[in-house]
Amino acid sequence: MRELWRKLRWLAEREQFDRELEEEMRHHLALKAEEQGSLTVANRQFGNVTLWKEKSRAMWTWTFWEQLGQDIRYGWRTMNANRLFTSMAVISLALGIGANTAIYSFVDAIMLRALPVRHAEQLAIVNWRAKGGISAVVDSHSGSNYREPGGSTTSPDYPYPAFESLRDHNQVFSNLFGYAGAGRLNLMVDGQAELGEGEYVTGGYFAGLGVRPALGRLIGPEDDKPVAAPVVTITYGLWQRRFAGKDEALGKTILINGKPFTVAGVSPAEFFGVEPQSAPQVFIPVHQLGLVDLNPHHSVESRFTDGHFYWLDIMGRLKPGVSLAQAQTEMAARFQQWALSTVRNDKDRQTLPALWLQEGGSGVDSLRRQYSKPLYILMTMVALILLIACANIANLLLARSAARRREMAVRLSLGAGRLRVIRQLLTESILLALCGGALGIVVAALGIRALTLLLANHQDDFTLGAQVDWHVLLFTFLVAVATGFLFGLAPAIQATRVDVTPALKETRASNPHARQRRFGMRFGLSHLLVVAQIATSLLLVAAAGLFVRTLVNLNAVDVGFNRENILLFSLDGAQAGYKERALKEFYAELQQRFRSLPGVRGATMSQMPLVSNSWDSTDVKIPGVSKVDGKEPFTAYMQIGPQFFETMQIPILLGRPIAQRDRQGAQAAAVVNQVFAQKYFPGVSPVGRHFGFGGKAEDTEIVGVARTPRYDSLKDEIPPVVYLSYLQAGESLPLRGMYFEIRTGGDPLALANTVRKIVHEVGPRVPVADVTTQARRIDQTIVQERTFADLCTCFGALALAMACVGLYGTMAYAVTRRTSEIGIRMALGAARGQIVWMVMREVLAMAGVGLLIGSAAAWQTTAFLKSFLFGLKPDDPLTLGAAAAILILCAFLAGYAPARRASRVEPMIALRHE
Amino acid sequence: MEERSEIPPGTLYMLILKTLARLGAMHGYGIAQHIQQISGDVLQVEEGSLYPALQRMLIKGWVVGEWQQSENNRRARFYKLTPEGRKQLGRELREFEKVMAAIGRVIQPA
Repeated sequence: MRELWRKLRWLAEREQFDRELEEEMRHHLALKAEEQGSLTVANRQFGNVTLWKEKSRAMWTWTFWEQLGQDIRYGWRTMNANRLFTSMAVISLALGIGANTAIYSFVDAIMLRALPVRHAEQLAIVNWRAKGGISAVVDSHSGSNYREPGGSTTSPDYPYPAFESLRDHNQVFSNLFGYAGAGRLNLMVDGQAELGEGEYVTGGYFAGLGVRPALGRLIGPEDDKPVAAPVVTITYGLWQRRFAGKDEALGKTILINGKPFTVAGVSPAEFFGVEPQSAPQVFIPVHQLGLVDLNPHHSVESRFTDGHFYWLDIMGRLKPGVSLAQAQTEMAARFQQWALSTVRNDKDRQTLPALWLQEGGSGVDSLRRQYSKPLYILMTMVALILLIACANIANLLLARSAARRREMAVRLSLGAGRLRVIRQLLTESILLALCGGALGIVVAALGIRALTLLLANHQDDFTLGAQVDWHVLLFTFLVAVATGFLFGLAPAIQATRVDVTPALKETRASNPHARQRRFGMRFGLSHLLVVAQIATSLLLVAAAGLFVRTLVNLNAVDVGFNRENILLFSLDGAQAGYKERALKEFYAELQQRFRSLPGVRGATMSQMPLVSNSWDSTDVKIPGVSKVDGKEPFTAYMQIGPQFFETMQIPILLGRPIAQRDRQGAQAAAVVNQVFAQKYFPGVSPVGRHFGFGGKAEDTEIVGVARTPRYDSLKDEIPPVVYLSYLQAGESLPLRGMYFEIRTGGDPLALANTVRKIVHEVGPRVPVADVTTQARRIDQTIVQERTFADLCTCFGALALAMACVGLYGTMAYAVTRRTSEIGIRMALGAARGQIVWMVMREVLAMAGVGLLIGSAAAWQTTAFLKSFLFGLKPDDPLTLGAAAAILILCAFLAGYAPARRASRVEPMIALRHE
Repeated sequence: MEERSEIPPGTLYMLILKTLARLGAMHGYGIAQHIQQISGDVLQVEEGSLYPALQRMLIKGWVVGEWQQSENNRRARFYKLTPEGRKQLGRELREFEKVMAAIGRVIQPA
C-alpha cells in the first residue's frame, strides 16, 4: 500500500526525480574520474548513462506507460508526416473494420444477446424430438418445428395436459411455464383499432422469466383460470403509444378481437417476449384463449384436454445448482411416461417424441436457425476483406520500411533494443488500426442502417434491430488491435533486421536498390501478399457472381400473372366481429367500392397474396385416384373473390373462372391449376368432374383450369392448387381475413389513402394493414437473395479495388527499385515493348498463381453456398470463368501503369542517377 | 585489469543493505567503492545494476535518500537504512546463510 503511494508520488514529481538521478550519476562519474584520473576512462567504465537511467526509472514500473505515451506521440507525428499513406490505410481499414462491425452487430443481436431477464442462464427450452418426420401421436400441431441434420424433427410445442403434468411433477425446475403465439389481433383502445401481435402465456410466465412490471402487475397464476376476470398485460410500447405512458391506463378496458380485457399492468421497456424477432403488444392468460381465438380448426376445449394436439411452447427456470443434463434426465423420463399414456397403436409407440432440454438464455432460436448460416457466410466474407486490407497495409509498410532504414539504423546503433523498436513500430500500426476502427464505427453505423433497410424491405413489422452497443464497440476495439498486430508485425520485424553500419553510411539520397539482394525476402513477402490478395478477391468476386446470377434468375422467373400496378393490403373483418353472411357482405361491398374508383382497372381479393411464402394445404378425395407417387392426394388451396383471374391476368385454359354466381347455395365450384389437372386427371379434361375437399364428400365441381401461376414462392415447385370462391366458405373452410388486390393505371400506392378512407367508412373497426404492392410483396420473399447479391457485389468490388491497389503499389515500387537496371537494359538495346513485357510478366505471374489458388479454394468452398443459389450450381463454370477474367483484366490494368512507366525510363538519366 | 567476479545473483540487495548498516548514510559511489574494497577487489558493483537496485530499494522502503554535502563539497544523495531495511537485511542474511550451508553440504568431500 505504502509502496503504491511512493510510486504515485514519484509519478507526480518524476521530473524532479529524474533530475536527482541525473545529478547522482554525474556525481558518481566525477568521483570515478578523480580516481581514474581521466573522465574518458571513467565514462567507458561507467557505460551507457541513458540506459542505466532508463533501467533505474523502469524500477518505478511506470516506464511502460511513459514509453507508450512517447510511442503514441511519435506515431502520431509519423502519421501526420505521411498524410497520403495514412489516409489510404485508415480508409481501407475503416471499410474493412466497419464491415466486420456491422455484420457482427447483427450476429450479436441475433445469436449472442441474452434475454433481458434476471439470471437468463438458468432458463431452459423444453423441446421434443421425433425420429424421421413428425410423430404419429401428434394429430395436429400448431407452432414451429424444424428438421435436424440427422433427419429427426424437433419442436418446442406440447399438449396442455403434458405441460400440466410436467409442471406439477418435477424436482428440477423452480418454475415451468408455457406460451403460444396468438397471431395478429385486433386491438381497440379508446374506439381506435389497430393490429398487434399477441402472446398467450401461462400464469407462471412472468414470474418464471423473472420480469418486473413497469406499472401495475403482470399476469400471475390467479389470472390464468377459465373463471378469472379477463386481464391483459400490455407492453411498454403500446402503453406509451396509446396511453401516453400515463398511470390511468391501469384498470382501463381494451377490446381484443372485440372482447373486453382489463389492463392489469405494463411489461418493462426492454422486454420483448422470448423470441428476439417477435414483438407482441399484449400478453393474454392462456385460459382466456377462448375469448380471442378465432381458429376454427380446434375447439377451445380440445386445446386443454386433447393429448394429441401439440401447441404450447414450454420453457423453465432451473433450480439453482441443477445442471441442464440432470434436469433433462428427470424431465425426459417424466415426459416419456406421460406420452406413453397417449399411445394408441404400434406406430404411435415407434415414433414417440423424446424430450430434450436446450439452453434458453438467449431466447427461442428460430431466428438463429434462420440467420445463422447467412450470417456465418457474411462474417467470413467481411473477414476476408479485412485480411485483404491488412495485406495491403502490410505491403505499404514494407515499402515504407525501406525508406525508414536509416532511422532504424540510427535507433539501433544508439542502443535501442530490437524489441523496443518493434514495440514502437507496432504501436504505430495499432494506432493506425485504431484510427481505422474509430472511422469504422461510423461506417458500421451507416452499414447497419443500410442493412436493416435492405433486410426489412418495406415490411412494416420488421423488428430485428442491431445497434452499436458496448459489446459491438469492444468487438471493434479488439478487431482493430488484432488487425494492427497482423499487418504491423511482419514489416516491423523486417524493418529492424537492419545491418547497422552500411545503412548508416547510406546518404539520404542514395538508392536503396544497391542492397536489393539482402532484401530478397521482402520482395518475396510482398509478392506473397499480392498473390494472397488476388486469390481472396477471386473468392469474393466469384461469390458475388453466384449471388447476382441467382437474383437475376429469380427475377426472370415467370410468375404466371402480371405483378405490376397492383395495390395489395389486408384486413380482417372476422376479428372486428363480422360473422358469416355479414362478413361476406362486408367484403363484397368493399370490392364493389374499390372497383368503381377512378383509375382502377380491377379489384379482387384472396385469402393470401400470391407468392408471399404463405401456404395452406389439405388432402382431397378424387374418385378413381387412390395414391399418386405413393402419397395420398393433396392440394394447396386459396379462397378468392370474383374477378380474381381477370384482375391478376391469369389465363383460364379450360372452362370458366370463379365468378359472382359461385355463392352460398349454388353448386360448390373450384378452379384448379394445370399441375392439379395433370396430376389427378392425366390426359382428360377435369372440367365438370367432382372431388372432395378436406376429406369431405365429393361435392365440389371443377369449373375451370387456370394456367399455372406461382403459388407461394418463386423457387419451390408449384403444388397442385385449388381456387375456391370465398362466397362459398362455410364450416369446413371458414372465412377469415382477406387480402385485396387492386389493379391501377398509375402508381398503386397513390391509392392507399383513398382505400383506407373507404374501409373506415364501410367498417370503422377494421384496420387496414400490410399496405404494399404485389411486386414488392414478391420481392420480400427473395429478400435474402437480394441482400446477398447487393452486399456481395459491394464486397467483391471492395476486394477487387484493394487487390488492385496492392498490385499497383508493389509493382510501382519494384519499378522504382529497378530503375537503373532497366536503364542498363535499355542502354544495351532492349526495346520498350520488352521492358513492358518484363514487368507485365511479373504481374501476370502473380495474378496467375493467385487465380490458381483462388480457383482451387473456390472449387472447395462454394459448395457451402449451394442452398442460397437458384438456377445454377455452386461450381458454375461461367461465373467462375467470368470472375477470373475480371481479375485478370484488373491485374492487367493495375500492372500496366508501372510497366509503362518502366518503359519510359531514360537510360542516360537512370544511369547517371547511380 | 585484474579478474573480478560477478556478484552472485540476488545478493546485491544484501550487500548494499549490509554496507549501509555498517557505515550509516552513504552515496552510490561510496557504496560501490566500499563493497569493492572490503571484498578485496573481488566483487565489483556495476553501475548498471547499482542504481536500478537503489531505486528498487527506495520503492520497497528499505532505504531513504537524502541530499547532503559529500566529503569533497559536492551535493550527493546519501542513502540511509530504514527500520524496514534493517529487518530485510536480517531476512536476507538468514536466507543467505541457509543457502550457503546447504551448498557447503553438497560440495563437501564425502
